[in-house]
Amino acid sequence: MNTENPTILIIDDEKGLREGSKRLLMNEGYIVDTAENGATGILLVKDNEYDLVIIDLKMPDIDGLDVLTEIKRLRPNSVCFIATAYASYETAVESTRLGAYSYIPKPFTPEELIFNLEKGLKHRQLLLEAERLKREREESLLEVAHEKSRLKTIIESISSGVLLVNTGGEVVYYNHATLNKLAIDDLQIGQYSLDKLPDGLTDIVTRMLSEKKTVNKSFTTQYEINNGDMYIDATCSPVPQHDGTVAGVVIVLKNITGFKKIEKIKNQFVSMVAHELKTPLAAVLGYIRIMQDESIHISESQQDEFLTRSRSRLNSLLDLVNDLLDISRMEEKKVGREIEELDIKEIIRNTIKFLEFEIAKSKLLVNINFPDQLPVIKADRNEIIRVFTNIISNAIKYNKEKGFIDIDCSENGNYLTIKVSDSGIGMQPEEKEKLFQEFFRAKNKYTREITGTGLGLSIVKKIIESYHGKVEVESVFEKGSTFIVHLPINK
Amino acid sequence: MTNNYHTILLIDDDIDLLEQNKILLEKKGYKIYTAESSEYGLKLFNDIKPDAVIVDLIMEERDSGFVLCYRIKKTDHGKNIPVFILTSATYDTGFKFSATTEEEKEWIKCDGVLNKPVSVDELQAKLDNYKN
Repeated sequence: MNTENPTILIIDDEKGLREGSKRLLMNEGYIVDTAENGATGILLVKDNEYDLVIIDLKMPDIDGLDVLTEIKRLRPNSVCFIATAYASYETAVESTRLGAYSYIPKPFTPEELIFNLEKGLKHRQLLLEAERLKREREESLLEVAHEKSRLKTIIESISSGVLLVNTGGEVVYYNHATLNKLAIDDLQIGQYSLDKLPDGLTDIVTRMLSEKKTVNKSFTTQYEINNGDMYIDATCSPVPQHDGTVAGVVIVLKNITGFKKIEKIKNQFVSMVAHELKTPLAAVLGYIRIMQDESIHISESQQDEFLTRSRSRLNSLLDLVNDLLDISRMEEKKVGREIEELDIKEIIRNTIKFLEFEIAKSKLLVNINFPDQLPVIKADRNEIIRVFTNIISNAIKYNKEKGFIDIDCSENGNYLTIKVSDSGIGMQPEEKEKLFQEFFRAKNKYTREITGTGLGLSIVKKIIESYHGKVEVESVFEKGSTFIVHLPINK
Repeated sequence: MTNNYHTILLIDDDIDLLEQNKILLEKKGYKIYTAESSEYGLKLFNDIKPDAVIVDLIMEERDSGFVLCYRIKKTDHGKNIPVFILTSATYDTGFKFSATTEEEKEWIKCDGVLNKPVSVDELQAKLDNYKN
């Protein structure tokens, strides 16, 4: 409402009174509209909300009380006055019953009119204030409702289960994810639920609910569903009342199956490593024990042999530790990689040179077949050397005396493909499958004398894959194997 | 001392441990035969018909020892002699078995489990126990 310039509508069929009042009120600062009959008045009210309306009781078209009823319906907060010369107690009562604020008997003096209107304006202010408060209250209620449903949506969207139980162990709230984390089909609000929880969890919740005062501390337990199909981490936190006593417990259920699986793989790897480390140590210890045992007679040549064997076992132990360190560095991506453009021909020629002694020992023939033009690859020199040293030294170790090694290289779309074929002992299909697994070593009548850590090819695979390349193997048992390395070309 | 068990067949793919156990057991008066693989071990077993067999667990496969025990125990001779598994796997790899529970006896056809490195006293105790 404009308190400086209140708006008023005067509905009266008497022109003199209409215009007289209009002039008077405009001088008083009112913004005045007039209507000469009920219908016009109602039309004006439809379009404008007036602070005040004066309605003549007797008009030729519509009865003033009907006009009043219609105006109050349209504008409940407009303050209406009934003005008439035919004042009667009954009409006064009737008009206030229909919503008129007051009754102005005609004729009235300007002072009387203004006095009444000012009272009406105060009432108008009260009505508007009440309206404002009502609206505010409704809006805040709406907000609370919004907030509740938003919270509910948020909790429902969490992939972890959220379950709230009261001191009676009954469900107060839960989200949908709770069901599969407890491996149950249904849960009802108000239902006793502690018997639906795994034992360890029930114990924690029961203990928390029996506490007199809420301790600000959460407890965690883990359990498995269907013998390891799913692992769940459950965190229980007490929910306090205002006075600090326990109102209930909120349980958050997280799926930690992936984490558990990684943990299991890690533990398996660690125990395999321990076994691989212990075996050569046990062999060396065994020789030392025998050599120191005075009750056992061994010849000098036996002693020499034991020392040579011990040394060889310790050397392979050292190789193993170095391979393990390489793997761990690779996994942690701590390798200080120096990416440069590499000429694969040069790398392979150098590797052959490095392994010359072993090649000569087995009287192997090495054929290198490279086209004149080959694209360069971008990689860390040491890593690529490592890859081909491992592959070519396998081709030597698992070869036959006077056998051959063929090394081919070609450009294949976006890849550089290097094939290393040998005329060696080859592999059985089931050995081929496990070839790149850590610590896998083919064990058969041909491999007995061959030493190795069982990590060489798993390192090859890790390096190649870290460059988004691929390594494959083809093999025929007792005929030979071909290792195929695809390395992406940086164009 | 070793009246009941003159000959023992040792099967292990670790040639060093095989050599050492041979020396230790020969010192105690046993006649020792050795084999470096399951395949050769089974062949030797059938040829020499030893008084006892000691088998390594992890050879060609992680469970080679179990398979070999089963094959030996299926033979007429194998039924009547002690066959032991020698391993460090129970400690190292968390591969838990003792071949003492009824369930394990169902699927592990051995007469006992020995831990590496072999203790001759432990072996003798097991042999005596088997006899009784």
